[in-house]
Amino acid sequence: MKKGMRLLLILFLFPCAAFPQSSAESLVQEAADHVQAFFKNKTAARVAVVQFENYSELTDLAMQKVYQMLTARLENDTNIKAADLLLNFANGRGEFNKSKLNELDYLLYLKIIQNKSKTGLGMAIFSRWQDKLVSITYAEKNISAGEMEFLNVANFAFPELGFARLSEFESKKDLLDVQSITGADGSARYFFFYPDEIIIYAAREDRLEKQSAIKLKWSRPFYPALHRQGKLLIFPFNQSLVMTAGGNFSSYAQVLTLTNDQWLETAKVNFVPCKQIVFNQGLYLAGARYEEGRNYFKDRIYLLPFSDPIDNSGTVEKKTFPAYDIDFSTQEGQLQGIHLIDRNYQYHLLTADFAEKTPEVNKKGASLAASDGQWLAVSDYSRQADQLFFYDIKAGGQRPVYTGKVPGEIQFISAGTWQTVKGFWVCCRLSQDNYGRSMLQFWGKRHD
Amino acid sequence: MTRQQRPAQIACSKFLTMALAVFLVFAIKPYYGGEIRIKLNEPTSFTLNTANYSNLVLYSLIYENFFYLQKNGALSTNVFEEYRFDAGSKTLILTVKDNLSFSNGKPLTAKNIQVSLKMFLGTNLFAASKLNKLIKNIRMTDNQVMIELLADHSDIVSMLAVPELVVFAENEQSFSGPFYPDEWEKNKHLVLKANPFYAGGRAYLDAIKVIFTDETLPDVFLSSPRSLRENFQEFDSGIYQNIYLCFLQGDVGQNTKLALYSLLKKFNEATGFKYKELHTLTADEESPVSIQIKSISTQKTASILKSSDIKLYILASLSYLEKDLTAFLKDSNLKIETLFIDDSQMMNFLNSTAITYVLIDKIFQTKIPAEEKISRILKESSFNQFNVKYLRMLGELEEVKYSNSPELLMEQIARISETIINDGFIFPLFQKNYSLYIRNECRAVDIDYFGRPLFQKASKARE
Repeated sequence: MKKGMRLLLILFLFPCAAFPQSSAESLVQEAADHVQAFFKNKTAARVAVVQFENYSELTDLAMQKVYQMLTARLENDTNIKAADLLLNFANGRGEFNKSKLNELDYLLYLKIIQNKSKTGLGMAIFSRWQDKLVSITYAEKNISAGEMEFLNVANFAFPELGFARLSEFESKKDLLDVQSITGADGSARYFFFYPDEIIIYAAREDRLEKQSAIKLKWSRPFYPALHRQGKLLIFPFNQSLVMTAGGNFSSYAQVLTLTNDQWLETAKVNFVPCKQIVFNQGLYLAGARYEEGRNYFKDRIYLLPFSDPIDNSGTVEKKTFPAYDIDFSTQEGQLQGIHLIDRNYQYHLLTADFAEKTPEVNKKGASLAASDGQWLAVSDYSRQADQLFFYDIKAGGQRPVYTGKVPGEIQFISAGTWQTVKGFWVCCRLSQDNYGRSMLQFWGKRHD
Repeated sequence: MTRQQRPAQIACSKFLTMALAVFLVFAIKPYYGGEIRIKLNEPTSFTLNTANYSNLVLYSLIYENFFYLQKNGALSTNVFEEYRFDAGSKTLILTVKDNLSFSNGKPLTAKNIQVSLKMFLGTNLFAASKLNKLIKNIRMTDNQVMIELLADHSDIVSMLAVPELVVFAENEQSFSGPFYPDEWEKNKHLVLKANPFYAGGRAYLDAIKVIFTDETLPDVFLSSPRSLRENFQEFDSGIYQNIYLCFLQGDVGQNTKLALYSLLKKFNEATGFKYKELHTLTADEESPVSIQIKSISTQKTASILKSSDIKLYILASLSYLEKDLTAFLKDSNLKIETLFIDDSQMMNFLNSTAITYVLIDKIFQTKIPAEEKISRILKESSFNQFNVKYLRMLGELEEVKYSNSPELLMEQIARISETIINDGFIFPLFQKNYSLYIRNECRAVDIDYFGRPLFQKASKARE
């Protein structure tokens, strides 16, 4: 609300900032014009910005907007095949996916400089084939304080085009996770995981209709927890369906198999599976183990070759960090990255070979989930203004694209599908609710 | 470090502290970890003993109550999935939660509940005898305990919400409370670790360090009200502790009684009146009668006690008096030996003539009605002198309670007080009121109806 007010005030005080051609925009336009003029007589030149540095008062967020404006213009030019390699913008520098450099013909270097009264944008075009700089341009404009502020305001994109809340349901207390499967006939079933049962729903228009419930029986050692957490996983295996359910209250996860239309407990796994991944052409369960009775995972990742019967002795461990939340992103079933939030709310990304990518100081969160290798949703880490951040992770990077406000405190996020739209289930606890009920929302991109 | 650097560094550290505080206040996930230090009296063992406020707090950390009575009067339980009173069969049915365990992982079952309840009913406590009168039998199934009553009694659950009714394990080394004893360094400290199997859910704290000395500054301590301390919040516990001098054998002469009484009053005077003088059996503010026991002079006291060979037994819960009292008696040149004993030891001695003079203490919650308190004193402090007359008086008090006549009730309380004093087995000595002091960095410490701090959801700002 405060930010909204701030934005309105800025628009009111600095009307020029709201006009179509702002100083920043004309600066970008000049740079784009220069690029377009340079490529006028060329065909399908493969071009991308690979370096972008900021020496002005503009924030990383504002730089991202400048970058977006520039790439939007370049993408419209038919002579250029512009690629978007930006992974992230932090500490005044753009981070780019350099593995794609050999697929480019021309590389663009950008630099924003600020002198006493003006802000300038410098650009250099480097030909990879000629191995030299082929063009340089520099333009400067007087970007007013208001416009500067406007650019720095934290709105990522237009929500109606990005992730938006598509549905909302109320749930009873202690909802731990939601997963869904789509049958051969296209009908979807939604599995709501509670500590003592899994309730299966079918979608009827915008509603959920209860189909059945699976009672869960746990055995000792059992760890009562003030905040129960857990993960549910469903996947096909040998023409059947397998489901795993585990939480911070038990030292094992149950493996349930669908047999003759009945879910039966068939095995136990000694960690909580989060995702099934393909590894060395075999199916593996990837997960972690909660600190018993507590709200975080231990500092290990576990990989178990999935077989029937399950052999827990084949579990492989990899050391990570104690984490509030953890998820595995995959591309075509293969492990793409491991996303986790440590106990200081710091986000970490591990590569498929479990090496940590350079941690970024300002990237924080509380809960997270990865949807295939496409999107990563992360919740804020403060109680008063909880919100969601959606990151584009297609290229393995961490680029925040959309954000959305959420009422109450986010309890968990899990990737899912609602009525053919891929997105995220977001469960939040409403602080004013005395019964501990939760609000479950589905966030997705309507036009995807 | 230069002088210029220091203020900058202080400012910086202040800023960081504030930033950390803001971070912790608004951080979304509860933080598991940390330790709170609480200063209490050193116990003699882990056998439940709630005689004084310090013990009441200590044992609430390691033993789980059947029910908790919150400050607002609401009841809650961690061990029962469900409890309901079946009016038809006049039975209270307690359903134990599945898969509960004691601190060592051993199962906590309906059997433990049944045994614990029977143990409580077998004690000499007034609350137990009240309950005993109502219960016809106690049965159990796999996960349920059924308490059949002689008559319909809607208040039965709140009668089970007393601090002394706790869940015991068969093994003395396992505990049902939110914490369990891990390391005990005698005369220094006792480390209680979070019980991973605690029925209410593992506490946020990793440990509570119970300290017995003043070497380290505690985060929580008990002290007289309005003992202003910087960075601490004071909570009125509503608890007061009375100290009585009891004579367990009928053959003690009146002069000896008065001399010992006067000597102990002198002791309070000599130690700077640490305790409030007590002129009633409960509290001076609420009692309808004031008891005036005439002290005798120092010389007369000395001459009476000079030839006596007195062994003064003192309950272990009063062990903090030891140092001062021993020094005082030594100065007085009297042959009075002080011996500290456990509650349980004393019960064993009662049938012998070994104990004549005893110093005992009792704690009371201000909010508890005066009739309840006087009944407790009569039942719990008359020891082997409890007789038919007292039983009849208790019965009469119970009847008067239901007469809805405050005058009659006060009259009966006064009659009991006078009888007790005239029978000469208990003399009220001192009273001490308590407040609970909690350091500002400690958050979410709940306080229940009995003035006990509950640490399950407590946390401490990280240093």
